This record gives sequence, C-alpha cells and structure tokens, in this order.
Amino acid sequence: MSTMTISYTVVFASYLVFLAWTTIKSLKEVETLSDFTTGGHRMGLLLGVGTSVATWVSVASVMGVPGYLYRTGAAAIIGWVAGWFLATSIMPILAYKVRRPEIPARTFPEFIRMRFEPFEKVSNLQLLVAVLMFVGYFIFCHLQVVGFGIVFNTITGIPYEYAIFGFLALLVLTSLGGFWSVAATDTLNAVLILIGLVFGTGAVLYATGGIGPILDNLAQTTAPINVGGTPMEAGVMLTPEGTFGWSVLMGIFMSNALGASVAPHWINRFMAPKNTKAAVLQMMWTVVALIPIFVCLIVIGLGAKMLLPSLPVGKTTDYIMPLIVQEHAPSFVGAMTLIAILAAAISTANSMLLNCGTSLYYDIWRALRPEGRLDDAKATRHLRWTVLVLGALSVLSAIKPPLLLAMGFTYVYGAFGAAFMWPVWLGLFWRRMNRSGAYAGILVGTLVYVVAKLLDFSNPFAVGAGLSLVATLIGVYLTPAPPREAYEAYFEPDVSPSTRAVALRIRREDDGAHHEVHAAKTSA
Amino acid sequence: MWTALMFWGASIAFCVAVAVYLCSLIESSGVRRWGATGSLFRYDE
Repeated sequence: MSTMTISYTVVFASYLVFLAWTTIKSLKEVETLSDFTTGGHRMGLLLGVGTSVATWVSVASVMGVPGYLYRTGAAAIIGWVAGWFLATSIMPILAYKVRRPEIPARTFPEFIRMRFEPFEKVSNLQLLVAVLMFVGYFIFCHLQVVGFGIVFNTITGIPYEYAIFGFLALLVLTSLGGFWSVAATDTLNAVLILIGLVFGTGAVLYATGGIGPILDNLAQTTAPINVGGTPMEAGVMLTPEGTFGWSVLMGIFMSNALGASVAPHWINRFMAPKNTKAAVLQMMWTVVALIPIFVCLIVIGLGAKMLLPSLPVGKTTDYIMPLIVQEHAPSFVGAMTLIAILAAAISTANSMLLNCGTSLYYDIWRALRPEGRLDDAKATRHLRWTVLVLGALSVLSAIKPPLLLAMGFTYVYGAFGAAFMWPVWLGLFWRRMNRSGAYAGILVGTLVYVVAKLLDFSNPFAVGAGLSLVATLIGVYLTPAPPREAYEAYFEPDVSPSTRAVALRIRREDDGAHHEVHAAKTSA
Repeated sequence: MWTALMFWGASIAFCVAVAVYLCSLIESSGVRRWGATGSLFRYDE
C-alpha cells in the first residue's frame, strides 16, 4: 500500500469517526420539535458560530474563490470576497430583530406567517414561501451532491456514482439529528476546513517562496488563463478593478452584497441562539472566523498563478485549488485539503437538506392540517423520515443530472433575494408593513426575477428586487395597517396577551407547556 | 491590491461596528430576555 493511500485512508477514517461521534452526542439533545428545527432556540455562541461559518463556506466558495483570483487577480477580492463579507456584515441587523420575540417562529415560512397572517387558520403565505423554499433548497442540495461527485471523482478517480452515494451516507448521518447535529458536525467541519486550508496554503507558500515572489509574479505575468488564450496586460492582476472596469466590478460587488442576507436558511439560523444578543454576536464572530479561511483561499488563488501560469485547454479555473495542492504538496496535505472540500460540501448540503425537509413536512404537510395534534416525538420522527427520503432523492436525481436542474443553480439565490428582501426587511423594521405588501413583494419579486433571467437581463436581481419594492409599497398603502398581533413581538419587549396567544396557537403549544420547557432548558 | 484589501477590511470593520452598536442598544434596553447582562459582549448570566 502506497504512502498516499495510507495517508488518505487514515485521514478519512478519522474524519468519519469524529463525525459519527459528534452526531450520536448531539442526537441526545433533541427532545422537542423546536430542538429539531431550530435547536430549541437555546444555542450558545460556539455552536452558533461553528454552524454559521461551515454553512457559509460551501464547495462553491472553497473551489470558486481561488478560481476567481487565479482568473482576475485582486479584483476578485472586491467583487466576491468583500461583496460576500458585506452581505454577512448586515446580517446582525436582521438577527437583532428576528430573535426578539419570546416565542419565536420555528421556520422561515412560519416567521412570515406570524408577521403577516397571524389569524389565518391555514396561511397561504406560509404555504407559498414553503413551496418556494422546498423547490429552491432541493435544487441546492442536488447541486451540492453533483458538485461534490464531480470534484471527488476528478481528484481521487473514485467513480462518480460511488462518490455521491458515499456523500449521501454522510449527509443523512449529519442531518438526522436535526439542527443540533447539523450545528455540532458543522462546527467540527468548520475547524477541518480551516486546518485543511492552512495545510494547503503552507504548501503553496513553500512552493512559491512566499508572498513576495507571488506579488512579483502577479506584477509581471502576462500568461493567459488557458494555454493558447489571449495574453493579459502586465500588472493588471494587481489593479483593484482588474479587467472588469469599476462600473462592472461595483455591479458584481453589490449583487453579491445584497440579497444573500435574506436567504431563508440564514433567517432560520438567527432563530436558534438563546437570545437576541447571542444572535447578533453569532454573526459578528462568524465574520471574524471567516477571515483566516479567506486569507488562505486568497493566497492559494494568487500563488497558483505562479505555480501554474496557464491551465491546460478545456480546464476551468474551479479546479485550480485541488490541482495545485495535489501537485505541490505531500500526500497527507493533499488528503487534508480534500477533507476541507468534503467538509465544506457536507456542512452546506446538510443545512439545505434540513431546510428542504422542514419546508415540506412542517410548513406544508403540517400547516395544511390545522386540527392535527401530533406530539413532538412523532413529528420529529416524521421529520427524520422526510429528511432521509429527500436526501436519497437528491442523490438519485444526481446520478444523471438533468440540464434543467443545473441551470437552476444561478436562479435560486437571486430569486430568494428578489422575493424575500422587502417582506423581510420591511416586515422587521416597519410596523405598517402588511400582508398585501408581503404577497405583492414575494410574487412580483419571484416572477420578475425569472422573466428577467429568461430575457438575459444583465442584473436580474436588481430588476426583480426593484419592482418587488414598488409592488410591496403599492400593496401596503392600498390596504389597511396590520393588526398589532402581527408586528408587536418584533418591536416591543413585552407583548399583549393576544399576541402571545396567537404565537402559541401557531406553534400549537399551550402557555404552560411553553413555560415548563423554557424553564427546564434554561436551568439545564 | 491594497485598495482591494481595504474594501474587504471595510466590510469587516462595518460588521463589528454594527454588532457593537446593536449590543449597546440591547444593553441600554435593559431587557434580560434579549441578553442585557451589564456587559457589552456577555450574553448569558
């Protein structure tokens, strides 16, 4: 057995043991339905930061960021890295409001229902949001599986079909315990992503001779991206606007910065911490914890230009990171980097799978049965089965991925931003924001975004979000103000008995049960 | 290169400034359920 095989086997076996141990430990934390969906609204800072960092860092960012830097140089730091960080920077503002209520929502569609349709027996708004989320997160999950399968197959030579079924096992293992196991395994994954990237960065710095030679090379290189391509202008990779020009670069920066903050899985993350301040600090420390990860990705991307000036014809820049690490690092470092990619894929996909499952079971199936009385144990068991089946379906759909789904990737994030931006922001910061405004904003935002995308508009998100704002304001001003029960919990420290009763009715809890559970968790 | 890094640094500084401001708002509210503990960065008693 070669050293390389032994290194890979030891690293992977250790990873699986840690993952299984973390999952089994966290399974014991799940006692109620809230525990499964949002960690019982009692998550501390360490797990909160761990799960947020790991969810934030996906295969797309681990593979994509070095690729953007290899292709465009310093401009990628403004367009993508700074853009994404700005998106995360405004998240504490949302977290500050989302986690205010004493009896918060368990899911994003339930939050929309509590804020806009608190008195409806069956909330069509909740159903509409849940359907959009279900479709969007299933596509996300499917694409994480496809992406991982292709990467794993390219790097290790293991057949694609085996890779995706192995991924299914890990995905289901980390998702079956609900939010607690997702958060616990994500925290482990966040640490592994950092360790893997530090090893990879060390290998690149060693091979290039350090930061100085990397910057010298960037100042002089004219090597095209692919062999035989058009040579670049010398020094362009170090200019802030790169080959884009400032107006195009600012467009990329703003579209990355706006919209991502209202993605439903982030709103869901803000409901999990034990109080408002923990929710705010969670996002602040997430940004701080992401700094070393992105320093590594930047060094790898820029260093790669020196180690491999041009890619072979037909190769995309997405593979630059594994290519460089595999060629210029010892096998143990290569294995650790591969673990970082695996950890990034699992930690993003399990969160998407949990959101997909809760949308289908909690916000569609359960919401359509307002009289149904399921106890927490039964509902949690049903949710586990839903997650299991959806995980299997996402892998089965990835065996021969249909083109339509692959095209859907770019649609989903933009559509979420265009649809939910104004209902979420205005709903949290404007008492007058009402049900009609939410319907108008979500429907117009979604439809305009899809049409703009089909018509090849240069920035469909801006068009969708812009018209969604107009529709929201028209909807709000043409209809009466919302009832106090809809907004009170997001604006006042103490709510009226009727607001409290509405929240409990939506969650299908009685007041005594809520107090008992809350007191027990707090004392524990 | 430095201009690009300054954009990134500004995003990070903005996040910290916003979070500190929000924590100070929570502290000045005095609402313990929101995490007011008497200390800016402590959220639990």
